[in-house]
Amino acid sequence: MFEPFQLPFVQRALVELLLLAVLAGTLGCWIVLRGLAFPAHGAAAAAFPGLVLADGLGFAGALGGFGAALLFALVVGRLGTRRNRSHPPHDTLTALVLVAALATGIVLASDVFHSAASVESLLFGSLLAIGPPDVRLAAATALIALAATWLLGTRWLTTGFDPASAPALGIRSKLPDTLLLVLVALGAVATLSAVGALLATALLVVPAATTRLTMNRIATWQLTTVALAAAEGTIGIWLAVQLNAPPGATIAVVAGATFAATATGTALAPRLGRAT
Amino acid sequence: MTAAPQPLLSTDGLSVGYANNPRVLEDVTFTADAGERIAILGPNGGGKTTLFRALLGELRATEGTLTTTSRCASVPQTERSRLDFPVSALDVALMGTIPGRAWWRRPSRTDRAAARTALTRVGLADRAQSTYGELSGGQRQRVLIARALVQQAQILLLDEPFSGLDTTSAQRLEELLRELAEEGRGVLIATHDLEQARRWDRVLCVNGRQIAFGIPAQTLTHDVLAQTYGGAIVTLPGEDPAAPHHAILPPHHHHHDAPH
Repeated sequence: MFEPFQLPFVQRALVELLLLAVLAGTLGCWIVLRGLAFPAHGAAAAAFPGLVLADGLGFAGALGGFGAALLFALVVGRLGTRRNRSHPPHDTLTALVLVAALATGIVLASDVFHSAASVESLLFGSLLAIGPPDVRLAAATALIALAATWLLGTRWLTTGFDPASAPALGIRSKLPDTLLLVLVALGAVATLSAVGALLATALLVVPAATTRLTMNRIATWQLTTVALAAAEGTIGIWLAVQLNAPPGATIAVVAGATFAATATGTALAPRLGRAT
Repeated sequence: MTAAPQPLLSTDGLSVGYANNPRVLEDVTFTADAGERIAILGPNGGGKTTLFRALLGELRATEGTLTTTSRCASVPQTERSRLDFPVSALDVALMGTIPGRAWWRRPSRTDRAAARTALTRVGLADRAQSTYGELSGGQRQRVLIARALVQQAQILLLDEPFSGLDTTSAQRLEELLRELAEEGRGVLIATHDLEQARRWDRVLCVNGRQIAFGIPAQTLTHDVLAQTYGGAIVTLPGEDPAAPHHAILPPHHHHHDAPH
């Protein structure tokens, strides 16, 4: 039953997933709490043309992906703070830029750099083919997310809880929220090798959204999310090897099914309680 | 003969506004002494929030002066906070320690003790671990007052604190505000409730500028209220319009936000 985990490439994938579980538990909860799920998905998608560009021009893919994701996160985050009729709503902007990023990436890959063969792995990840640099990036990003949560968590919580009162509570700088957007971009890039540009939210959003259904304190929520993301990743990679299925997509299906089961359970629990 | 104690707060010809509208509120001159409860009356958009933002240091005076001898702390309407957030009453009270901490420091034991003391002061010691969103409207308002007390502010600025509260909760809150004032704080309350404003020590009426300031019995005249609310005053049929306590505000000046 556990034979797949004796294979070196599966072990490396598992280490990557456990590191990303720390990211999912720390950053993921802030993404869900602060309503950044769609921008996080957009940042991962925006990394796609950056990766294609890096691949075609021969520089580090993570650098290209991070540059594009960061640009996206900061522009969307900045425009999202403006509220007037001359600007489209925040989610509309995110969707527009997301589509533009994907289209640009496809055009670059197929017609400029002729690297269409790698498009699938960029969009959906190649978990079983990751190398030490990917693991190092995941470890560094998880550490940064932990440190940022430790240092800025109270401010992120306060700003999200009561934005209008944040200045009166001494939070007048936009820097903490800007750093959160930078971290979203970095987190999106760190997940790319595992689940790709289109499935990043399977790690960054879905586990935290699942545990949010039952948790009502930030610390326990984050710890539970780390455990759930680790479990979903482990089960997902085991299933992928057993079924010869794509690992990124399998993990996404496991995460989605867990969310659906939890949501159904929490919705039915009060009715069942009344019936007994 | 001893000199009168310095007021906690005083403004002299204060004008404040925003970059795109520099004169939202003009020529405000008033004082708040220790132990005083002052009602701030005015229509929506009349400058009450702008005045509070100026007192909190978020907006600079475009004209006039503002002098405070103590920190001001804001107590917003509970509807403005996210009730779905995974925070306890203690977590919210702890937010009041942020101004006194360097950005890299986490709340210390002393901070936690201060937050617990403040929750005890507002009568919520036994609800410290309750989820904020699951508390009643009156309890949430008291948690936000505890957050202000943690900031060790002598001046409390409350924005329509009685909005959406039932009679019992409103009475408890009013009693708490009276006690906090008696402990030497200045309590400024933005409100639309004229009957309540009559019970405070002084009242400041604003509508883009200062209309009047003084003790309620002398200040809340029909003329002052007509100027404050742009003439949108209804008097009870058959009553003497000159009698100030018979003036009531039309319904659209009241907030009827349902408690969450």
